[in-house]
Amino acid sequence: MCHRRVSPFLKLSLVLLGFVLAGCGAVDLEIRQSNTNGSMQPRSVAILPFTLAEPTPEGVSPHDLFRTCFYNYFSFLGYVDLPLDIIDQKLKQAGQTDNKKILELSPEKLREILGVDAVIRGRVLSVNNFTGGIYAETSIKAKIDMLDLRTGDIIWETEHKESTHSGILSPTIVGIIQDQMDNVKVHQAYFKTAEIFSISMMKEIPDPASNWTKEIHLPKITSIETNLKPSHKLKPNDRIYVNLKGDPGLTGSFGIGSWKSDIPLKEIVPGLYTGSYTIKADDDVSSALIVGTLKNKNGLTGKKFYKDGMVQFASSSNN
Amino acid sequence: MATLFSACASDLQTKVSGHLNSLSKHQTVAILPVEASDEGQMEMAKMFRQGLYANLKQSKFNLLEKYIVDGLLKQNNLNDPANFLKINPMQFGEILGADAIVFSRINKVERSYFIVHSSIELSVSVQMVDTRTGEILWRAEQTEHDFSGIGKIPTGITTALFAPIEFVTNKFNLRKMTSKMIDKLTALVKKPENAKKETQFETTVIAKNATTDLKKIEELQQLKAEWNQALALDDEVRPEVLAPKEIQNETLGQKILSSSPATIGKIQNAVPLKATVRKVRAVEAEMVQIPTTPAITKEEIITPIPLNAYKTTPAIPIHKHGQPPGNNTNMSSTTPLYTVQVGAYKTLAYAQSLSKKLAKKGYNAFVIHNKIYKVQVEKFKNRQDALKLAQLIQEKEKLKNFVATVKPG
Repeated sequence: MCHRRVSPFLKLSLVLLGFVLAGCGAVDLEIRQSNTNGSMQPRSVAILPFTLAEPTPEGVSPHDLFRTCFYNYFSFLGYVDLPLDIIDQKLKQAGQTDNKKILELSPEKLREILGVDAVIRGRVLSVNNFTGGIYAETSIKAKIDMLDLRTGDIIWETEHKESTHSGILSPTIVGIIQDQMDNVKVHQAYFKTAEIFSISMMKEIPDPASNWTKEIHLPKITSIETNLKPSHKLKPNDRIYVNLKGDPGLTGSFGIGSWKSDIPLKEIVPGLYTGSYTIKADDDVSSALIVGTLKNKNGLTGKKFYKDGMVQFASSSNN
Repeated sequence: MATLFSACASDLQTKVSGHLNSLSKHQTVAILPVEASDEGQMEMAKMFRQGLYANLKQSKFNLLEKYIVDGLLKQNNLNDPANFLKINPMQFGEILGADAIVFSRINKVERSYFIVHSSIELSVSVQMVDTRTGEILWRAEQTEHDFSGIGKIPTGITTALFAPIEFVTNKFNLRKMTSKMIDKLTALVKKPENAKKETQFETTVIAKNATTDLKKIEELQQLKAEWNQALALDDEVRPEVLAPKEIQNETLGQKILSSSPATIGKIQNAVPLKATVRKVRAVEAEMVQIPTTPAITKEEIITPIPLNAYKTTPAIPIHKHGQPPGNNTNMSSTTPLYTVQVGAYKTLAYAQSLSKKLAKKGYNAFVIHNKIYKVQVEKFKNRQDALKLAQLIQEKEKLKNFVATVKPG
């Protein structure tokens, strides 16, 4: 079969047609506070629970789906985003369980509860999932903004409706049937629409990633020592000792390959961490390297392998 | 109708390791930038990574933020995704602090159009590797194909003509297909407990680069074991405590043994000389605890020696390279001499190589054979002179060494 490239003229005219048929458009994001100064850009962000203007008859929670989906995509940008379960937990601990009231909390109060620079607020104004005859539609209309908790200013905001629909304008019968079948799966239909909404928004939201590139430093480990001897097989009650030298004041641990991890190391003097593991009778691992780990309060982890000896258990089935 | 629907074909081959299930929120996975072979695939590569990231956010493990991954890769000059698979996963583990990494590649993005028919074909490969073991936790290849044309029964003549063009030009369709593809691709990773027998690796599969380096480490350790054994058996050699650097805390009077860990990927076939009296004795002991708080004896504290000390040491004159200098001395054949041992190898070529390098720098290095090939420098009557040279070699050449005794002649 002969294939040929699409002409630029047809490309241009049909992209527009394509958008009409697909029922999707670009998000019009209004950036109110241009944080060109890197130091003023919010670093940590929490996505507050989204609200829904009216409950849906389908019994699903499109606003929750949207929030999860939005978070999944927002994490791709260069912000330190608080996990949703942590946000919910913190709000609950502060006695804030009504999503609508949470949105009305003052920036100071939110900062006190969540400890972040900014929050994203989502108000789902309307949702629709309809399948009938030759027409199918799922839509989400929402108002979303980012509030700087340090200044109380809105950084950006948008009000957008994202729709996926098919009907008489759809080009093929098979396409219509496929869309109808997809649309009756309400949960997936909302999630897909939320996904398109989120992807469109991510294109517009300022990404501060490049500001932080030089500031990213993993905890430094300068050396790791163990008492492992080359080609020595360990027996029950033998003890592996690990000493690690690196940045002070961090959480130290070590692991044995992927077989065991997070064995604690104690900082005995600043920057010097030590710990041990005693082999148990039913332990079974072959050719595992010891890996030392230092974790800082931001969850960033520095790792270093000890390569002068491997953990081999005498009882290992692989031996 | 079934035939028509099957036209939107998807071919997914995926396998997971049982160990994938053991990853939890305590483990961090880094999704590396996606490899794309040409400019046309770059957009798809970005879209794919974003989708992969968003999908795997719902998995059991923790994802390392994209800007951190990219920032650290940039800091380490790792800018070309095409080279990522050539690097040992353990190296990525140390660079990114991640427990596992995801490599992915766009194999094909093909959009074709022919009057009333158009199609899009996408193909990707993904691999997740445990940085701690080199084990492949997940491997998948997927091809997604969709078309627009007569086969899908156009709703009119106009749509029959325009729909195929719209299909290949509208980015929304590519995005939709990519999204569908990632959904299917990641389903098993998000719920590895649902993996059926046919989607599980039969045995542990180790990534090629990790295998090579692990093998090197094992070989190195084997050599070290042999070396330690040789030292223990060798009544000729009496190593002195010199090689290990000591991390000293003056306030608390504590010290631990420390070594400079070998750089991953630069492991050489040499045996770093870390042998100490303590180590020789440890051959017989089962597991010897690293002494964290021993008292330091005066003998163990080494006084720094000026760099020019070697030149003032009355060492035995330099001889033809490779010949032990003791041959030309008039020392008593019964008095032991002292030498500085800088290397020991199973292979003569490696020993000779080091010996030549040192000789070029003016050291009187030579190779002797006693179970293994040992590279030694000079012979001295006086142990203090040997110690001075050992210190000099350590400081100047960064070669770990020790003072050994040898029979004259």
